Amino acid sequence: MATAMAASAAERAVLEEEFRWLLNAEVHAVLRQLQDILKEASLRFTLPGPSTEGPTKQENFILGSCGTDQVKGVLTLQGDALSQADVNLKMPRNNQLLHFAFREDKQWKLQQIQDARNHVSQAIYLLANRDESYQFKTGAEVLKLMDAVMLQLTRARNRLTTPATLTLPEIAASGLTRMFAPTLPSDLLVNVYINLNKLCLTVYQLHALQPTSTKNFRPSGGAVLHSPGAMFEWGSQRLEVSHVHKVECVIPWLNDALVYFTVSLQLCQQLKDKISVFSSYWSSRPF
Amino acid sequence: MRSALQAVALWGRKAPPHSITAIMITDDQQTIVTGSQEGQLCLWSLSPELKISAKELLFGHSASVTCLAKARDFSKQPYVVSAAENGEMCLWNVSSGQCVEKATLPYRHTAICYYHCSFRMTGEGWLLCCGEYRDVLILDAGTLAFLHTFSSSQSPDWMKCMCIVHSVRIQEDSLLVVSVTGELKVWDLSSSINSVQEKQDVYEKESKFLDSMNCQTIRFCTYTERLLLVVFSKCWKVYDYCDFSLLWTEVSRDGQFFAGGEVLAAHRVLVWTEDGHSYIYQLLNSGLSKCICPVDGGVLKETIYPHLLCSTSVEENQSLHFVMGYMNERKEPFYKVLFSGEVSGRITLWHIPDVPISKFDGSPREIPVTTTWTLQDNFDKHQTVSQSITDHFSGPRDEMGMTAAITSSEYIPNLDKLICGCEDGTIFITEALNAAKAGLLEGDSLLKDPPCHVLLRGHHQSVTSLLYPHGLASKLDESWMVSGDQGSCVILWDIFKEEILHTFFLESGPVTRLLMSPENLKINDGQILCCVCGDHSVALLHLEGRQCLLRARKHLFPVRTIRWHPVENFLIVGCADDSVYIWEIETGTLERHETGERARIILNCGDNVQLVRSEPTLSVASETHKHKNVEQRSSSGHQPGLVPCPGLQLESSCKVSDATSIPRPFNVLPVKTKWSYIGFHVLLFDLENLVELLLPTPINDVDHSGSFYGSDILRRAKSTVEKKTLTMRRNKASCSSLHAEAQAKTSGDSLPSGDNNCKFPEESDGIKRQKKMKSSKKTHPKPSRKVDASLTIDMAKLFLSCVLPWGVDKELDSLCTRHLSILKLQSPVSLGLASNENLFSLMLPGWDVCSTEMKEHSGVNLFSRKVLELSNKYTATLPNQTGIPRSPDNHCNTLQQSDTIVYLLSRLFLVNKLVNMPLDLACKTDSRSFKVESVHNKGKFPGSDILNISSFYDHLKNGRNEYHTPEVDISLLKLISCWRDQAVQVTEAIQAVLLAEVQQHMKRLRNTPISSQTDPVAEHTICERMWISSKVGWTEEIELPYVGNSSPIETSVGPVKHGNDLNSANFQDTEDILDRCVLEESESAGQPRHRPWIAKVCSCRMC
Repeated sequence: MATAMAASAAERAVLEEEFRWLLNAEVHAVLRQLQDILKEASLRFTLPGPSTEGPTKQENFILGSCGTDQVKGVLTLQGDALSQADVNLKMPRNNQLLHFAFREDKQWKLQQIQDARNHVSQAIYLLANRDESYQFKTGAEVLKLMDAVMLQLTRARNRLTTPATLTLPEIAASGLTRMFAPTLPSDLLVNVYINLNKLCLTVYQLHALQPTSTKNFRPSGGAVLHSPGAMFEWGSQRLEVSHVHKVECVIPWLNDALVYFTVSLQLCQQLKDKISVFSSYWSSRPF
Repeated sequence: MRSALQAVALWGRKAPPHSITAIMITDDQQTIVTGSQEGQLCLWSLSPELKISAKELLFGHSASVTCLAKARDFSKQPYVVSAAENGEMCLWNVSSGQCVEKATLPYRHTAICYYHCSFRMTGEGWLLCCGEYRDVLILDAGTLAFLHTFSSSQSPDWMKCMCIVHSVRIQEDSLLVVSVTGELKVWDLSSSINSVQEKQDVYEKESKFLDSMNCQTIRFCTYTERLLLVVFSKCWKVYDYCDFSLLWTEVSRDGQFFAGGEVLAAHRVLVWTEDGHSYIYQLLNSGLSKCICPVDGGVLKETIYPHLLCSTSVEENQSLHFVMGYMNERKEPFYKVLFSGEVSGRITLWHIPDVPISKFDGSPREIPVTTTWTLQDNFDKHQTVSQSITDHFSGPRDEMGMTAAITSSEYIPNLDKLICGCEDGTIFITEALNAAKAGLLEGDSLLKDPPCHVLLRGHHQSVTSLLYPHGLASKLDESWMVSGDQGSCVILWDIFKEEILHTFFLESGPVTRLLMSPENLKINDGQILCCVCGDHSVALLHLEGRQCLLRARKHLFPVRTIRWHPVENFLIVGCADDSVYIWEIETGTLERHETGERARIILNCGDNVQLVRSEPTLSVASETHKHKNVEQRSSSGHQPGLVPCPGLQLESSCKVSDATSIPRPFNVLPVKTKWSYIGFHVLLFDLENLVELLLPTPINDVDHSGSFYGSDILRRAKSTVEKKTLTMRRNKASCSSLHAEAQAKTSGDSLPSGDNNCKFPEESDGIKRQKKMKSSKKTHPKPSRKVDASLTIDMAKLFLSCVLPWGVDKELDSLCTRHLSILKLQSPVSLGLASNENLFSLMLPGWDVCSTEMKEHSGVNLFSRKVLELSNKYTATLPNQTGIPRSPDNHCNTLQQSDTIVYLLSRLFLVNKLVNMPLDLACKTDSRSFKVESVHNKGKFPGSDILNISSFYDHLKNGRNEYHTPEVDISLLKLISCWRDQAVQVTEAIQAVLLAEVQQHMKRLRNTPISSQTDPVAEHTICERMWISSKVGWTEEIELPYVGNSSPIETSVGPVKHGNDLNSANFQDTEDILDRCVLEESESAGQPRHRPWIAKVCSCRMC
């Protein structure tokens, strides 16, 4: 024990030197790197407003599924909003073709993208406050900053990776169903969301349950994707999902963004780990 | 329903860290409220001379506090709302420090505004919130429930800041909000109240793009009702409210970031920066047009420009982050105050002159700092003696004479031992109660000796985690203790023999946490120890086999949760990045790795995953370790639980209250704060439990040791307490039937059964479990129950020492010390209250000098001046002839002493219950509990929850029954209920009652010519007790509460049987009076429905 203490006297000096280097040089290097990555990520989200010239560019995505071609959708994404949507639905029974499109004056905000973008800009703002001129005095300070940044990044990523679980009545009540120009027939429900790097469109076909039906009515809970047979009550009617069509399309820049999030989260964690190594030597003091 | 626990904080020399993230001053300018990154709120008192002193620390949030706002009309209710990073919201009463309401919504707020429109709104008003979500939320200010949203029709986005405009001119309240992208939106408030109540969509009235990002503050000038100050991080702008035309833009210099601003007066604004500077500007009309109002609206542009008048700044460390605010003058003696809080925990105040002027030469004048204060200042100034439990331990000291810092600690309630791991690798074990006494009390010769302790040496680096496995799983050896250190070494100890049983070397960084597997998961017929390490790995150790079973090393992020799957022997590890790793324990292979949605399902799925918490007895303890976010941050700075917020999803894990949820009379709670090593201990006293534990003791003694002891008691005890013990025992019997049973069988076994008894009200299926536990325990040698009783008395004494207002009357103090052997405090203690939901508030050192009015009193521990007032009132209502029982001889023998203490405690308990009872509940309690009881009465098996209720019910009743004269009694009840209505704080009430009771007692001691006749009432109660206990066998344990409740009838019968005619007649009379009085007194509990209820019981049981 005594030898351990004696050895640590010289060791301590070295460690202190190393720790100072970590705080003064390495932390800033990592922060700069982080900032670069996050700026790159936020560029993907094309911020609307006067900072970018002119209106944000529009991207068209053709949604399909590998299995059937009963539903086809062409969605136009403008920043974080769907500006146009064309949905073609082939009715399974009579092969009748239905076509819906967004009303000209309407846009549908994809809240997941907006939230993710805002979280990234929050993270950038946190980092921007700590440029090279800023001197970190304690390790705890860095840990706190990293915790705050990681919180924003985790939230940004989670917004994209976990779509909202909605109940069928919630989907029916959402504004999206009122967006279409030939109004959506009452036996159709539409939902659009982001799942990981994919833009997903689900179309639910419904049929009314007869009041005399012997079927055991059990309203279904919230889900990202409801399966056929899910039941719910809407207005005074009891409805059941008869067919579910899900089509999706990869949004390349969302993929990039997710990769950036993961990389920067790992960078943050690594920086935290580096700081924590020293915490063992400064355990009772503020380090 | 348990009342709040009384807490005493044992602060060390270092103040807990408090990195201020939000700050506000209450409307009465008497309290500063700050929120911290660590999750605590701090209340600072602000004197009329603008002196600051920290008063109270409020624990309630498990994540960083994001914003604070007032939540009521402050003159009526001093309520403040706080919101945390993880969606928790708390409503605090800042005068009493208690949390009134708590809610967790999946929203992170950055700003909250209170809005109330008295003539159009019912209820408490709205909290308008904005934050990391779309649009503006409206929450109910009373319940914190979600009401509605203000939605935007144009480019909806997150909102950054807001302000409410009350304009007399426009006759409409409006809400101005700026979004993150810089879009200003206006909602009508007063005219949309109806729409909100009817849940109709409310869209913005106007919307304007402000052309700047990162808006920090928006303020409306109420003086001119025309200007709008909007502060962005890089500039601040002045707009014309009439048409939102831009009047001026001032860009920040030298890379400063603006953080906020306020309008001081007409054409005078104050703007502050993130690094703690502030600037006061005069807005001057430029050149041509001198008139303030534009002649033809909208045409006039750039009519103003700012002129810097004054500035403020803080010395040095400009780089830290500041949060600032400004409090405007209202009326005398209110000041205009600019205040700031720093990450370092420092508060600075500037008194802004009414008319700020620049220097003669026109250059800006510097306004000096008026006051500055930190938590540590409080500690340095007032904490003359460190009360830390460990500072009085005479362990190894270094050259400086300082003991090594404690890096981890664990309390074992069954043994009353506190295990502390030190920075230098030693572990010492002390008796917690003695250590606490040594820290707090003065004078006792016993305490001069260092409390006995055990010193364990084995670690070479600081001890980072401790675990006492027997506390979690009763099957494990009682002598085992496990400790882990910074150097990745885990040692299994025998704490009785003080030797190392085995040392494991893990070589994977500091051991941040030790956990025990659930009882039903067994490998090689033994439970597993799980070690979470600093390099994010997890090691599973088999303690019996002394072997390492599994090293799970693939985790990239800190481990946040551990789940066990007993059927298939899987270890499920949840990491901070929301990924999940599933390990097969037997083979040590990684079975699966999942991320995203699927990971969340695996972690949250309660079906296939046998969660730790589904095991009732275990759960509380082991879950405690998982979810104690603030309390037990393990000592390494980075921690399994990062900041708990998976997206904005609600944390699915239920909030398990920590150690407080296991009712024990006395508990030591180690508290560690995030990102730091400064910890302290909190002593928790459960009054209810103390009373329960203390009361049955004499009676059981009678049972065991037969007539000799019985007659002794008969001679000594007076009827009041006896009677109370009797009723208490009867209804307690149901709660602790097993306890009694056990005692009936073996008197030697009573320590553990006493502990079992404590846990009883917890779970309805607890009884069986306890039985199992008990049988397994029997093999172990037990300390005798005498020790237990004296320990409990010691706990009670310590509690009374802490609560009693010393120094009010010197003579009284010495009498207390001599006759009750309650020792005097060395210095004022930091009292606190802990309610059941992980919420507690603790006073800080120096709280007693917060209010200047106190200075004239020499009281060492006087909570507030009000105490004396209340105490006098109480004494006035207290009848002279009743009170504390006293023995015929003036010798202060132990029995009498403990009787007195029990009496005092039960009194305090009653007061505590009454004052704590929520107002609305107070009126309903009896009816509700009555209903529950009757419902359960019909069912075959009354769960233990109603036992709880009924015991509460009985306590109230007991409180009344114990008196001779019901009128006096009711007036006391009335008085205390009255205190509740007058918002008297619990601590105040308790102190007042204690003071009065002790004074009363001592008065009698002083001038006692002792009357030694035996009290006839006492006699008959004893008889009655015997009668009842003979009539009611233990077999009827479940029905016992009803027997307890029906006591009035039976008591009136009992004496008659025994031919004690005179007294019984009297007794019946008083009983009737009692009933009648109560019928008139609707507020006091219980009695009115007594008779019908009993009728029901009778029909149930007899027919």
